[in-house]
Amino acid sequence: MKKAKRSKFRIAISWLIKLSIVGVVVLAVVMAYLDAKVRDKFEGKRWALPAKVYARPLEMYPGLSLKPKYLKQELEQIGYQRVPNILTPGQYMVDGNEMDIYRRYFSLYDSDEEAARIHIRFNDDEVSGLWLDGKPVDIARLEPLLIGGIYPKHNEDRQLIQLNEVPELLVNTLVAVEDRDFYQHFGISIKGIARAMMVNMQKGGLVQGGSTLTQQLVKNFYLTRERSLKRKVTEALMSLLVELHYSKEEIIETYLNEVYLGQSGRRAIHGFGLGAQFYFGKHISQLNAPEMATLVGMVKGPSVYNPKRKPKNALARRNVVLDVMLEQGLVTDYQNKVWKKRGLGVVQYSQYQRIEYPAYLDLVRRQLRTDYNETDLTSEGLRIYTSLDPIIQRSAEQALSKRLSQLESGYKMAKKQLQGAVVVVSTQSGEVEAVVGDRNPRYFGFNRALDANRSIGSLAKPAVYLTALRGDRYHLVSPLDDGPIKVAGAGGQVWEPKNYDKKSHGVLPLYQAMARSLNQATARLGLNVGLANVVQTFKDLGVERNLPAYPSIVLGAFEMNPFDVAQMYQTIAASGFQTPLKSIRAVTTAKGELLSRYGYEVKQAVKTEPVYLLQKIMQKVVKIGTARYLNSQFEPSLNLAGKTGTSDSQRDSWFAGFSGDKLAVVWVGQDNNKSMPITGSSGALRVWAQTFKDLPLKPLYPLVTENIEEHWVNVQHNALSDKHCDGVEKLPFIKGHMPTQTSSCAQKNELKSWWNRVFE
Amino acid sequence: MKYFVECKILVVLFLMFALAGCAEQFVKDNSITTDSSLAIIPSWYHQNVGFQLMGANQYSGSGALVHLLQDADLAFTQLELQKCQIFLERAQRIASRDSSVYVRLSYLFWVQGKPPQAEQMARRALAVMPSDGEGKKEIQRLLAAIQNNQY
Repeated sequence: MKKAKRSKFRIAISWLIKLSIVGVVVLAVVMAYLDAKVRDKFEGKRWALPAKVYARPLEMYPGLSLKPKYLKQELEQIGYQRVPNILTPGQYMVDGNEMDIYRRYFSLYDSDEEAARIHIRFNDDEVSGLWLDGKPVDIARLEPLLIGGIYPKHNEDRQLIQLNEVPELLVNTLVAVEDRDFYQHFGISIKGIARAMMVNMQKGGLVQGGSTLTQQLVKNFYLTRERSLKRKVTEALMSLLVELHYSKEEIIETYLNEVYLGQSGRRAIHGFGLGAQFYFGKHISQLNAPEMATLVGMVKGPSVYNPKRKPKNALARRNVVLDVMLEQGLVTDYQNKVWKKRGLGVVQYSQYQRIEYPAYLDLVRRQLRTDYNETDLTSEGLRIYTSLDPIIQRSAEQALSKRLSQLESGYKMAKKQLQGAVVVVSTQSGEVEAVVGDRNPRYFGFNRALDANRSIGSLAKPAVYLTALRGDRYHLVSPLDDGPIKVAGAGGQVWEPKNYDKKSHGVLPLYQAMARSLNQATARLGLNVGLANVVQTFKDLGVERNLPAYPSIVLGAFEMNPFDVAQMYQTIAASGFQTPLKSIRAVTTAKGELLSRYGYEVKQAVKTEPVYLLQKIMQKVVKIGTARYLNSQFEPSLNLAGKTGTSDSQRDSWFAGFSGDKLAVVWVGQDNNKSMPITGSSGALRVWAQTFKDLPLKPLYPLVTENIEEHWVNVQHNALSDKHCDGVEKLPFIKGHMPTQTSSCAQKNELKSWWNRVFE
Repeated sequence: MKYFVECKILVVLFLMFALAGCAEQFVKDNSITTDSSLAIIPSWYHQNVGFQLMGANQYSGSGALVHLLQDADLAFTQLELQKCQIFLERAQRIASRDSSVYVRLSYLFWVQGKPPQAEQMARRALAVMPSDGEGKKEIQRLLAAIQNNQY
């Protein structure tokens, strides 16, 4: 019996030893694995840094049209504070027609701009004088607005900081609140765990955690939020390994960059560096003690103690932290009392709490794809400088959502039924200045500016008229027949286009046919000049998709998206000089080294003279044609030009219009492609007008060459005439391409003039 | 390659110098209007090559455009061609119908061995040059020089 007992004991001991050996081996393997994991991430690239995307820097100079209210808006967006007296960079003041800005230092892809005081004098919404640090200057730039980021899938954003940039008080406060034994323990604190257990038992629930800063870092950095024993053990082992390999300074610096501090839309705010900017609009080194207390207080619960969303909670928590600071001797009693009375001081509008421009960012991302892979864009902290103009962007966004609501209520349509898109481009540089892809401009989803391929309707007509004017058979008063037209297709089908008013308008001069957007006359013209030639003109204007040479293309029975339409109209607006539309000016590394530049390119795609005539007709569209609504909204001296477009069954409402410097293409329609009671004139045109109503535009003066000459003509009779005759108009012609007949009135006047000369 | 670029710069400067004589009438115009936009270019043709290379060009008028053109010219003479291009692009955004900007861009592309781009810039310069005067002739000569050199 005794022997049997001893034998069992021996077996147990033997098993225990064996199990212990296996356990030690397993533990060694696990430790080796965890060690490799810890070192791999800690010593490698710790964080994926999203690319940061910037708007254009505002370039100011005497003569610039700039309303003070827009400058103020931009300053607020880039986080400048309006103050009665300027003391530090990042502040501005207004005094009547004058403004003082203490510009911050900033770095661009071409140079660094030092912090400086800019004084601006305005006169009638124009910059009339500019001084930099008291000296008159010709030009000065403001830092660009940060308009978004290209984030990795987890949407983490952070601004890396080094420990020497962080105020000592912040580190001490963090340690005092989160882990008082941080400088004594080896990753896990038995004392801390015991204290937490005591508190939790006293309170009867989970009130205090026993995790050290190292454990918190390990949990956030390497592990999941899973609550299990296995995770807890792994966390403890990894914490020991972290402490074994790295100094306390390295650990705290990593913690300061890693910690989660709230959410801004889809973006997760990580690290005290970004936290300081996001909540207080300051660099971490400039935080004051109550601000530090607020941020440290957030660590416990970034959502619960979010100073923007839950200010009451945040204030109470900050005051608790201020009490801990007092208790630990970090602040005096007086300071504690004074600071507890202070508000949170959170900035409501800092550029780190930015408004994002999803449609524009989408364009930037697509244009970058040719040169950069997705991983680089989401992890290398690249800086991307774009041409987005926040003033125009905002105006376009507001115009679209406001007009769509008005249209819906005006036409008794269901709310949120209409959708739209806007693309604004600098006509001469080809830079994209604004993109709106949804009536809710903050929506990250289907981007109608780039992806809504819709029938362009009459927006195709300029290409047809340009084809005619490029040849030698047509000029502005060439008679066009607007009678009914039928075209038989190869398959026996008949194409029979009708005018919008269902009427025919007889024979009329070419320019009037386009100004009035007559379908029958245009269809006949398109067929006469040759469909292949029309297709070629589309190509020359920058339409890249292959268009079939069907008769209906002359009336725009094919699909394009607003962005591609903008490319086509840019060539027209720039007098035949085509510039590939681009949103990016340059890309640099996180440290500012230039990686790529996307400079100005131009190609003369169409001769200047026929485009000159086309622009003149498009100005008539605004003066007397389908876009004449603009006459009541803008100064006639702007000489705006454009073209309305309404697709078959009124499914799409378009307008493409331009001044001397801006081109905007607007589309309004429904996602289900159903008919609407809206035309190009009543829909998209109104959005265009609303967008530019309050913005400065340069007048459009079509580029004239020595091959253009103006003549008085009788437009109804296609004859040269005299200014004293009735029914005449002065119109431009390309030399050698003008009416060959002279009106009888002009002949009489010529005779009279000859007679007078003889007797004078 | 560098020798090639330097040779091209010398050719360009020689051409500028040669064209200077033709452009006398423009130099006297002090206003920076579109009509007198070429006034800026001939004024730096006037200086001798050494003076050019030191970046001490003389300009008529003042303002943001002239400021940026001066910066661009200085960068050009210091062979900082990318910097020069950036200044010219900033100038183009401010004064998109000023031919002097496009003429400079044309030179810039030419010395960089990019004649097709140089030609397109010269065409643009020609198109925005409003009067049919000496200015146009000068740009046409530039255009011809680019075309002859390349094709």
